[in-house]
Amino acid sequence: MAEDGEGPGDPPASTDALWEALWALLPHTEEELGLELGAPVDPSAAGLLRQAAGLLYAGRLDACLQASEAVLDYAWEKLNTGPWQDVHKAWRQVYTFACLFKALCLCREPREAGATAAALHVCDLGLLMGAAVLGDILIQVAAVLQAHLPARKRPAPSLQQDPPDTKKPRGSLVPAVPPERAVPRLHRPALQHFRTHFLLPRRPVILEGVADHWPCMKKWSLQYIREVAGHRTVPVELGSRYTDEDWSQTLMTVDDFISKYVERETTDVGYLAQHQLFEQVPELKQDIGIPDYCCLGDGEEDEITVNAWFGPRGTVSPLHQDPQQNFLTQVMGRKYIRLYAPQDSEALYPHETHLLHNTSQVDVENPDLERFPKFAEAPFLSCILSPGEILFIPAKHWHYVRALDLSFSVSFWWS
Amino acid sequence: CALAPELRARQLHLGAEHALLLGADGQVFSWGGGRHGQLGHGTLEAEPQPRRLEALHGLTMVEAAAGGWHSVCLSETGDVYIWGWNESGQLALPTRRLAEKTAPGEGGGDGADTKGGASTEDGAPATFIAVQPFPALLDLPLGSEAIKASCGSRHTAVVTRAGELYTWGWGKYGQLGHGDGTSLDQPRRVKYFVDNQLHVKAVTCGPWNTYVYTVEKRKS
Repeated sequence: MAEDGEGPGDPPASTDALWEALWALLPHTEEELGLELGAPVDPSAAGLLRQAAGLLYAGRLDACLQASEAVLDYAWEKLNTGPWQDVHKAWRQVYTFACLFKALCLCREPREAGATAAALHVCDLGLLMGAAVLGDILIQVAAVLQAHLPARKRPAPSLQQDPPDTKKPRGSLVPAVPPERAVPRLHRPALQHFRTHFLLPRRPVILEGVADHWPCMKKWSLQYIREVAGHRTVPVELGSRYTDEDWSQTLMTVDDFISKYVERETTDVGYLAQHQLFEQVPELKQDIGIPDYCCLGDGEEDEITVNAWFGPRGTVSPLHQDPQQNFLTQVMGRKYIRLYAPQDSEALYPHETHLLHNTSQVDVENPDLERFPKFAEAPFLSCILSPGEILFIPAKHWHYVRALDLSFSVSFWWS
Repeated sequence: CALAPELRARQLHLGAEHALLLGADGQVFSWGGGRHGQLGHGTLEAEPQPRRLEALHGLTMVEAAAGGWHSVCLSETGDVYIWGWNESGQLALPTRRLAEKTAPGEGGGDGADTKGGASTEDGAPATFIAVQPFPALLDLPLGSEAIKASCGSRHTAVVTRAGELYTWGWGKYGQLGHGDGTSLDQPRRVKYFVDNQLHVKAVTCGPWNTYVYTVEKRKS
C-alpha cells in the first residue's frame, strides 16, 4: 500500500523546512510518546490514539489525520461532560495528543493554502483545553508554525499609533472619584509596610512605580500585539456583561478580535477576558514582570495565575469577588474600579444560584435601589487605574471594573 | 425522592450528564447536570432529584429521547419538544457555528467538517441559540406528525407517521444520513428512504451513528 506522506524512514524527498522543523520536535520513536493512558480513558479511545501514533510514524498521514480527528472529537465530548474542574487530566492529555497529531498532519505536503494557520489553530485548541504532554510540546509546535507564517508588513510609522480611543471620551463617561473614597496610593512601599498596612488588614491600595518600567508599558500597542499573537486563537466573551442573557463565549484569532471588537466602533462588546495568554504566547510573558509583593504569599511563583484582560472601551466586569489576592496591573488605557469589602456582602445582594454566588445582582453604576435598597449605604473605595499602576485587590474583596479606554490589564492571582 | 409512589414509569433515557423519565400519565421528569439546559427547567442549575417539567404541564407526551446534552419528547398529537445544547444545531435552532464559514466556534475543534444549514431567508442576521433551557416546540416540514425520536450525542432523528425520517444536528461522521458530512440546524428528510420506497418504522441512535428500521412500501 502506497505511503501517503513524508515519514521518518523515508529518504528526504523534499526540503520542506516546516515539516523538518516540526518533525524534529517529536520523540524519535513512537514508544517515547508515552501513550500508556489508564482509566478513565477507555481502551478503545486509547487504542485509536495509539493507532494514530503508529500511522504518524509510518508516514501514513492521511490515515493518521482521520484517526486523530476521531480521537479529538471523542475527547472533546469527554471534556464537555461534567464540570470542567472534574474533567480527568487524562482526557485532556488525549485531546492534546490528538491536536498534536492533527496539527502535524495538516502540514503534510502537498500543503494547502492556510494549512499552517489551520495547524496553529489546532495547537491553540490543544493549549486552551488540553493538558501539557511531552514537556508542553504544543507550545514549541506553535512557535514553529508561527515562524512559518507570512510575516506582517510593518505599516508606515504614522499608522502605528493606537486608534482614536485613547482620546478623552466625551461627556460624563469618566466617573468622579470622591477624594474621601479614593483608594490610597503608595510609591514603591517596602514589602513589610505593604504587608502590615494592606495585605494583613485586607485593604486595597494602588502601587505606583512598581510596574511602570516593565517592557510592556512601552512596547505594547495594537500593532505589536497583532505581530506577536495575531494568528493565535483565543477565547472571547461576547455581550455586555456575563450576567446578561445574551452573553456567550467564543473562539477567534487575535487578529479577528482586534478587527471586529477593538478597532471598530461597534455596539457589540467583545472582551478577551480572564485568559492565560502568557502561557499560550510565551513571547508576551517576557514583556511583563511579577510584582515582588507576591513573595509575601504562601504559594510558589509558578502557582501565580496570570491573566490577560484586553478589550475596547466600555467593557464591564460586574461586581464580583475572587478567592485569591489580586494585583491588577494596567498596561494600556484606564479602568474605573469600585471596591466593596467582604463584610458588606449583604448590601451587595449576591445571586443565589451556585453558578453566580460570587457575583452581585446590583449594577454598580446604575443600581436599582428599589430592589436593592441597602446598596446605597454600602461603603466603597474607587479609583481610575492608569497605565503603569497596580491595584491590590484583597482576596474576596468585591470589585466592579469598567474600561474607560481601549484597555489591556494583567492580573496576578496569588495566595 | 420527588417521584410519587403511584407513578408508573414508561421510559428512561440517559444523556451524558442527565436523565429523562416519561411517566404513564404523559408527564416528563428530568434530573442530573443542567449546565447546557438539558433539564428543561429554565435554568442551568443541576437537579439532584427528579423534577417534573412544568413547561409541559397539560400536554401528554408519548415518547422521549436523550442526546449527549439535549432532550426531546413527542406529544400524543405528534408535536416535537426539544431543549438543551444547540452547539451543532441538534435542537434545529440557528447556531452560530454553522453560520460562520471560516474557523469554528467552541465546537469540536475540527474545522474539517463542512458547514451547512440555516440563515434566515431574507438574509437578516439570525439570533443564534447556543443553549435552550426551556422546551421549544419544533415544526417539522409540511406539518408532519412525529411518532418516534432518538438522539445521538449531538444529533437528533425523528420518524413521522407517514414513514419518513428527519435528521438534524452534528453530521460530521455521516450520522444524519444525507450522504455527506454536513451538520444541519434544520430538520431534513432523509431522501434515501423515499427514493428506495421504504417506510420508516423506528430509529435508534448510537453516539455517532443512526440505525433505522423500515418495511417496504406496498406496491400498488
